[in-house]
Amino acid sequence: MIASNQPSVIKVRVKRQDGPGQAAYWQHFDIPYEENLNIISVLQKIAAKPITRDGQRVAPIAWDCGCLEEVCGSCTMLINGRVRQSCSALIDRLLEDSPSGEVVLEPMSKFPVVRDLVVDRARIFQALKKVKAWVEVDGYFDMGPGPKQSRTQQEAAYPLSECMSCGCCLEACPQYAKVEVIREAGESEEAYRQRVEAANSVAFIGPHAINQAVLFNSNPTGQFKKAERLEALTEPGGIQVCGNAQNCVAVCPKHIPLTTSIAQAGRAVTVHAVKKFFE
Amino acid sequence: MAKQRVVVVGGGLSGLSMTMKLCELGIPVDLVSLVPVKRSHSVCAQGGINSCNDATRQLGDSEWKHFDDTVYGGDFLNHQPPVKEMCEWAPKVIDLMDRLGVTFNRTGEGFLDRRRFGGTLYKRTAFAGATTGQQLLYALDEQVRRWEAEGLVRKFEHYDFTSPIVDDNGACRGVVIQNLHSMEFLALPADAVVVASGGPGLVYGRSTMSVMCNGSAASRCFRAGAKYGNAEFIQVHPTAIPGADKLRLMSESARGEGGRVWVPRRSQDTRDPKLIPESERYYFLEERYPAYMNLVPRDIATREIFDICVNEGLSVDADKMCVYLDLTHIPKAELDRKLGGILDIYQKFQGVDPREVPMKIFPAVHYSMGGLWTDYERSSSGGLVVGSPRNHETNIPNLYAIGECDYHYHGANRLGANSLLSCIFTGLMVGPGIENKLKQSKTAAADLPPAVFQQAVAAAKEQHQAVLQRPSSDQNPYQIHQELGDLMTRAATVVRRNDQLKAAIATVEELEQRANVATVVDTGSWTNQNVIFTKALMDMFPLAKAILWGALQRDECRGAHFKPDFSMPSLTSDTREGRLQEAEQWCDRFQANTDKWLKSTIATLVDGQPKLSYEDIDTSSIPPRPRLYGLVGAEEIETVWKRRAAAKSAQVDPMAARAAAAPAVASL
Amino acid sequence: MTNELTFIQKHEFLLRRIHSLTGLVPVGLYMCVHLITNASILNGVEAFQNAVYAIHSLGNALVFVEWGAIFLPLLFHAIFGVYIAYSGQFNTSSYGTAKNWRYVAQRITGLIAFVFIVSHVAHMHGWFHVGFWEKLMHSLGLAQFRAYNAASTAAMAMQANIVWPILYAIGIAASVFHFANGVWTMGITWGVWISPAAQKRADRICAAIGVGILLIGFSALGGFMTLDAQKAEDIENRMYTESVNTGRVVPNAKKLTNPKLLEEQAGTAKP
Repeated sequence: MIASNQPSVIKVRVKRQDGPGQAAYWQHFDIPYEENLNIISVLQKIAAKPITRDGQRVAPIAWDCGCLEEVCGSCTMLINGRVRQSCSALIDRLLEDSPSGEVVLEPMSKFPVVRDLVVDRARIFQALKKVKAWVEVDGYFDMGPGPKQSRTQQEAAYPLSECMSCGCCLEACPQYAKVEVIREAGESEEAYRQRVEAANSVAFIGPHAINQAVLFNSNPTGQFKKAERLEALTEPGGIQVCGNAQNCVAVCPKHIPLTTSIAQAGRAVTVHAVKKFFE
Repeated sequence: MAKQRVVVVGGGLSGLSMTMKLCELGIPVDLVSLVPVKRSHSVCAQGGINSCNDATRQLGDSEWKHFDDTVYGGDFLNHQPPVKEMCEWAPKVIDLMDRLGVTFNRTGEGFLDRRRFGGTLYKRTAFAGATTGQQLLYALDEQVRRWEAEGLVRKFEHYDFTSPIVDDNGACRGVVIQNLHSMEFLALPADAVVVASGGPGLVYGRSTMSVMCNGSAASRCFRAGAKYGNAEFIQVHPTAIPGADKLRLMSESARGEGGRVWVPRRSQDTRDPKLIPESERYYFLEERYPAYMNLVPRDIATREIFDICVNEGLSVDADKMCVYLDLTHIPKAELDRKLGGILDIYQKFQGVDPREVPMKIFPAVHYSMGGLWTDYERSSSGGLVVGSPRNHETNIPNLYAIGECDYHYHGANRLGANSLLSCIFTGLMVGPGIENKLKQSKTAAADLPPAVFQQAVAAAKEQHQAVLQRPSSDQNPYQIHQELGDLMTRAATVVRRNDQLKAAIATVEELEQRANVATVVDTGSWTNQNVIFTKALMDMFPLAKAILWGALQRDECRGAHFKPDFSMPSLTSDTREGRLQEAEQWCDRFQANTDKWLKSTIATLVDGQPKLSYEDIDTSSIPPRPRLYGLVGAEEIETVWKRRAAAKSAQVDPMAARAAAAPAVASL
Repeated sequence: MTNELTFIQKHEFLLRRIHSLTGLVPVGLYMCVHLITNASILNGVEAFQNAVYAIHSLGNALVFVEWGAIFLPLLFHAIFGVYIAYSGQFNTSSYGTAKNWRYVAQRITGLIAFVFIVSHVAHMHGWFHVGFWEKLMHSLGLAQFRAYNAASTAAMAMQANIVWPILYAIGIAASVFHFANGVWTMGITWGVWISPAAQKRADRICAAIGVGILLIGFSALGGFMTLDAQKAEDIENRMYTESVNTGRVVPNAKKLTNPKLLEEQAGTAKP
């Protein structure tokens, strides 16, 4: 699996940014080549020895990671221009596909940069709140089992529920525009958060949230709140913003049928809107 | 009085189920997490969640049997009342999760499908594909988001818990947390603090745990005076995929669904595994454990794989230790339906399709049975008094611990698919206890003089500044962490020897000295991961030392703690008569060992050093018996033991009555 | 924190859906009818002129139909479409899938189609039928079409400069792609085709429709490019005379190349 003419070093170019709203800049690092490395290992090596190609000692690169098994979604970034998880990005495979022999790391472009490769993805979770992505149970006392469901229902719902809110679909979506609110001097954390939430609330919710609305509308109990979710889908920043580029489904690391969900949601809101108009 | 609040530290299964339950009870919660709670380590749990169910019941299963399996699997080191209560709740917990929308796999008729897991003979385990932990976590995350939308939950994500705030009376009145982006400190007053921060995998460097499982929250409570129990009981998962940055879990469900573990009979056979005929394959688990086959409990599977590679030299690869875990005899469609997720992980990280080629796996540190010591109140029926404020309270009043970071439920070894259960169960069960705790108090922490909190924040800031302003040294925190991990993995995992443990303790002391002067390269005050890591590293040492000391002092074999110098021998006689005689001696020795060692190790941190004491265990429901998976002569030992046990119970009925009346936890 | 919504934000869903709908009906449908009508030139000058007579039989109502059912929906579709196009960010350099290229193409062809239609209407009709304006447009080589000399004026307009047929070819191709691809995305937006397999089937059908309409459009274009305008005008004038006599068309100097015909007509009508 390993090509015979491997380079002695891995050339890594990282787009860095010291803080929100500041200018980005590039730094180059050379890492001694080893077999079976992933981007995480490379970043760990840089963290242990943060010295650029020019021999300059710099602050270690900030980045997020968690499970390293591609189920938590933390370590999402742009690798050679494409969004993906850095834990499952294997260097050997990247070098095969990169003629320049360079690995380029950038933060996601659709979310405000916190520092270096760390971005603020709070907007993802805000969208989940907007579409009421939960089953509204009465409470957590023992009320016996949930409704019976067929294997077919389960097999349709399971892939939708695998969404780890990583944001790949949003990064690749040409209709999903970055919303960045810069904190003002002296502004309290809470006031700032409110301003961010207000700005996010009218921006596109994105494929992931539409998919969650479909998931919960298909749940036997979740469907009791179907109308509310469909209303949410037609609010500002709702499903109408979708431009059908279908990049979401192409980049989803969990292969969630996002465009199928979008079409299903499209049908549901059509029926809902027409009914509402004539009711 | 201001509104009473609860702080929950950690947003995994236990933290979220606790938060959700408290909200249902109308108690506002501040939820603190290093990562967005949806990214918590619980997502990594693959296999499933156990409960006795309608189908197994008809095969003779019951909550009691689940309880018995758990205690037997845990080698009787578990306090029995919490376990009994948990197993009784288990079917209800799964029903609740089903109602919350967890996409559990279904049977053709629409019931929850079940699979078999290690350490039991029943198909108790409900599962959602191969990402059960993820699915359970998401369902709880969704419920908490619902409460967040209703204003009952404030989330503090990307915050590090730096210490509990303990007042002059020794009670916990809040927490200090640090924003991982702005690096600012904040005090949250709280009338109860629940630590649900998971396991300390990073103490071992690479493990199956996520990078935020550094144990720092538990360690900081330990430093603040909380007791830590059974630290030395660290579960090593038998099957993980070795990797440079992480040892990725290969779920037990791979064996549950029929996966077979084997090595070529000839050492380092270089043939393609599919070309090796059956007769030249050594299915060592099946041969050694004909009843449980590949589904022996984890500690045994781990030790056998270790033994095959280390002692018998039958590792598949010469340069790295591994054995085959083979699924290639199972139809692909079935594999995709039941194990798709985990097989994709293997393929993604190894570049080989496990449906076509047997996987190569090796044991890895996986779970900490031990954790913060917590109290409970035993009910007259041998379970817990639900609603008692004592349940899961640490020795620091108002400070609670639940989930993996407490020391209950799993004893010396955890059964597969019991951790998800214990996590959700503790969250749900402890909620009403905390409600009662709050009711007992006539004050709210928020009404305390602000100086209490200001002082705590000032202390945390000072400590932080001290780390930032260290004089330059050549000590690198990442290097020290790697050394610590290697050392702990060598000395305190599958096989433990006292000389190695002693040496390791000395080395850990040195490493701690080095960590205390290690320089942080980044001295900035914005998203400084360098200093956060360094502080977490410093907090790994109390736990590392508790593990090593606990292991050193415990001169026996129990569950995951295996010391060959103190192992119980197999019977050697060729005749049944002879073996029965040996069994008598064996049982004498076993009884003596039980009398001496069937105790929880309780560590208290004094001047940075763990001081150990031992706590009696409540075994009031199920008397301890030898754990005999695969031992030669097991049949005879069982015969002798049963006869003795019967005689004992007939003879001393009053003693059973006394045990029932005894306080649940012996005073320490 | 109160959040002031813009008009577009407040009615985003409705506006987008109207935008989507107008693309099919009336705009897309009109385009198809228009191209098919034009292609009737292949059946001869008479066929085309008869088709135009049929349209103009609406008489004074025509202006309302044109503005109400064609221009206003078209303008809405075009202007809101430009807004949509500018609210997206192309990223085919990173994600070069066919669908993503089509997303880009949908927006570019929409802009091309808009420019084309505006110039086409200027070229043929001069935008407004107001005296001085018409004269001005005419002097610029625009406003060339005369409904009662439909084929000949259209042919002359096309043959006046090679630039026109090139512009028309590009414009028709862009419009047809925009329509066919638009129908496909509309089917997803409204939830007509859902599964990937259904979307693929719909895709093939839309492509087939697109190719069909493109062929029809190009045939019409070829027809006008190769038409002998002089002969055509003779035929049209004969048809005009006959039609006025039978009362089929209402005499109208503005719809003729040679308004004198009207006077002649008047002469013959009055003995």
